[in-house]
Amino acid sequence: MSSGGPVAEAARDEVRALAQEKGHAVDVAAHVRDRLEAAFAEGSLSRTPQLEQALADLRLALDQAAGQKLGGKSGEAARFIVRAIVRGLDEA
Amino acid sequence: MLDRLMSRGPQLTPDQQRRVPPGQYVTEKWPVLHYGSIPRTDLATWTFRVWGEVDAPFELTWEQFKTLPRKQVHTDIHCVTRWTKLDTDFEGVPIQQVLELAQLRPSARFVVAHAEQGYTANVPREVLDDDDVLLADTYGGEPLAPEHGYPLRLFVPKRYFWKSAKWLRGLEFLDHDQLGFWERYGYHNDADPWKEQRFSDG
Repeated sequence: MSSGGPVAEAARDEVRALAQEKGHAVDVAAHVRDRLEAAFAEGSLSRTPQLEQALADLRLALDQAAGQKLGGKSGEAARFIVRAIVRGLDEA
Repeated sequence: MLDRLMSRGPQLTPDQQRRVPPGQYVTEKWPVLHYGSIPRTDLATWTFRVWGEVDAPFELTWEQFKTLPRKQVHTDIHCVTRWTKLDTDFEGVPIQQVLELAQLRPSARFVVAHAEQGYTANVPREVLDDDDVLLADTYGGEPLAPEHGYPLRLFVPKRYFWKSAKWLRGLEFLDHDQLGFWERYGYHNDADPWKEQRFSDG
């Protein structure tokens, strides 16, 4: 069951707004991830399997080993995953 | 100048031109495309595992893997980002060796390739079980470069190359289809370059 009430709606709106931010896709995705994880931690949104999968995939896409650049597909993966997160927010 | 701007890569023979799928251009380079970082592999601890809908699941060390029969494949590869590389030479273990060792059940209709960093790619069994499919560890007579999947990658040349998972660590056989990493986020599940199956929304 998805979370209801003004706190949940505010959290969804914040995540959606962050997803629309201008900037590098990797940075945008990191902001979305941080806000979503905070929403889960504070209980304003509920974890769903789809969002858990998306966050796990995002961690992989943004994983940067010491001394390496992020792979060229990290930005594309980040954009795709952020879109999936936004689509899944109503269920959270 | 105009010639250079209009150039679509190297001059091709008519035979080579016929081997370029729609929407692709030919490159002699091998672009490096992945997300995250290039994993560092220690062959002393590396294993390759096969499990799921099989009667004989197994796990191989690198030493054991290197004892399996090998095969060379000369063919073309096609990336969803529109580059095609003609006349490549890959070498490795033919997939039929793996299928035979694992003794697939009739229910094993799909496979998920599991790679380092949680990367996955899925194909149906009939796509995997093809004469040109390899567990490839060699390109052009040399071990795969780290950025191209060292020590091992799946090689499924009849599909866009994201299905040929780099840094392969295992194959999971399933009785149902399970989307891989890119397939979850909009890449086409079938990925046939000749049908331009790039994205699932067409």
